Amino acid sequence: MAKILVVDDDESIVDSITLILEDAGYRVDSTLSGDEAYNKIKSFIPNLILLDILLSGVDGRDICKKLKKDTTTKNIPIIMISAHSSAVKSAQEYGANDFLAKPFGIDELLEMIKKHLKKPNSNRSLSAS
Amino acid sequence: MKKIFNYLNPFAHLGEKDYSFTLPLFTSLLISLLSELYALQIAKDPMSVGGYIIFINFATVIYFAFRSGIRGGLISTFIIILYYFYIIYDRNYTGQLFTSGIVTTLVLGSIYAAIALIIGYLKQNIDNLIEREADGKRRLEAIVDQMPVGVVITDSEGNILQTNKQFITILGRDAIKGTKIGQDTVDSITDFYHKKIPASQWPLAQALATGKSMTKKEYTLAKDNDNNTYLQVSASVIRNKVGKTIAAVSVVSDITQLKEIDKRKDEFINMASHELKTPLTSLRLYIDSLLKNRGSDQVKTLKSIKLQTEKLQQLIADLLDVSRIQTGKMIFSMDKFDINDLIKETIKDMQKTTTKHNIKFKNKGSLMVKADRLRINQVLTNLITNAIKFAPLGGNINILTKKTSGKITIAVQDQGIGITKDQLQKIFERLYQVSDAQEKTYPGLGMGLYISKEIIKRHNGKIWVESKIGKGSTFYFTLPLKN
Repeated sequence: MAKILVVDDDESIVDSITLILEDAGYRVDSTLSGDEAYNKIKSFIPNLILLDILLSGVDGRDICKKLKKDTTTKNIPIIMISAHSSAVKSAQEYGANDFLAKPFGIDELLEMIKKHLKKPNSNRSLSAS
Repeated sequence: MKKIFNYLNPFAHLGEKDYSFTLPLFTSLLISLLSELYALQIAKDPMSVGGYIIFINFATVIYFAFRSGIRGGLISTFIIILYYFYIIYDRNYTGQLFTSGIVTTLVLGSIYAAIALIIGYLKQNIDNLIEREADGKRRLEAIVDQMPVGVVITDSEGNILQTNKQFITILGRDAIKGTKIGQDTVDSITDFYHKKIPASQWPLAQALATGKSMTKKEYTLAKDNDNNTYLQVSASVIRNKVGKTIAAVSVVSDITQLKEIDKRKDEFINMASHELKTPLTSLRLYIDSLLKNRGSDQVKTLKSIKLQTEKLQQLIADLLDVSRIQTGKMIFSMDKFDINDLIKETIKDMQKTTTKHNIKFKNKGSLMVKADRLRINQVLTNLITNAIKFAPLGGNINILTKKTSGKITIAVQDQGIGITKDQLQKIFERLYQVSDAQEKTYPGLGMGLYISKEIIKRHNGKIWVESKIGKGSTFYFTLPLKN
């Protein structure tokens, strides 16, 4: 069962995404704070991360950049979420694997997650864990 | 000297004192007197100077008809004829000499009068034309001067002929120091990309060079301070009957305010759409899950949907407030009330929204203030909401009130994540910094602090924050006390 970490400072977003992902059969953990995200990644070891750009205190893109530099986490696919559809370009520059513009529906979310979990690099991170 | 010149100047009476009666009268009398003196005293034969006298009289009539119109010419003629009759009377002419004297006088008189009429009439028309043209020019100058846009008119070479007040207001007096467009007189004009525009590329210079009209080109006028002035410039040439360029005109509008409004509108729309997208996203996900019959607890999902719609409602109320602030339409109704009571009420409502936080307020007794109770409640709610939001791990939130001379200070203290120095300066100032250089944003601050700042400002109070990263923040605001 694939594990997904949701990082968003809006409780309702975390709640609704968790509801849907758990229903779809994933194991989900979440955090509202960007700083806590690192600890969660180390303990939870997700197969995929859903990361909001706007987080209290930190920029989600900085987290993404840091994770992509770390050899232990660089293979985890990261999907960035933002209400600014214009942020797609900068998300790519920071190393995000994909980008989801708010508001999105269940199908878009699940399809994107499926797509990235199938990719070989995510399997590698599975075997690494 | 100038006075004498004015007396002699045939156009001097235009807009001056009216000498059109007295001057021909006395001058003609004087000329007749001098002619008589000359004829009797200096010339041996008075009759031999008749030709000269007639010549001088012709000149006098022409001069006064031209200077003072028909009336001047006729007055002069009348005096001269009187003088001729005096001569006939004084010299005791009889017989044929008398008859020819009378005939000559009448014929000359008729000619003088005819000249006075013709020249006077022409002169009148010329005067009217000049006056009409001058009036037209005055009207035009008044219109140009009153226009809300800057106007500059040059000749076909680009030499400045005329500017209006607004032109100088917009571009400064320096702009017309060098009086030729096409020389670098104002070097601070830049184009849309902040590239300096050589004067030869100004719309007016280009219109002169190409003969084509340049419409609504936009430029930035970089002044000493940071505030740029945005200009919209049009220019076209003026042609005469045969199509030759005789002048050029350029109209300069200061569109800075329009640009500002445009920018603010964009910022507002950007912020509004951003704020609305978050609750919309969770709403869509919850509704999708209900539609697909997913999620075990449907009542719980419906409750979440309700919460999100309430959030949306609050967001829309905030957006309307921001819009009211920006258009200066936020209305306050001032009342006397106990601020301690209000704080207690607010805490009661806010405590319901969290289980992780403990909101404390110790003050007892009453503290009367004069303020808009609902709006102050809004400020307190905003500050406590932020305190909850930015202390995700929970903790105490302390509310304190302190009475000092003439005012009361209210503090909301949290044990949250704190605010960086960089953000401290910005949290009240900007709604959202959506697209600065790195597209970095200061998230989660929403509109609450901006609205709060405006509310407190309108109460003649102050709002500020002290914060330590990792320790928490304290927000303060003051309200004037009601004595």
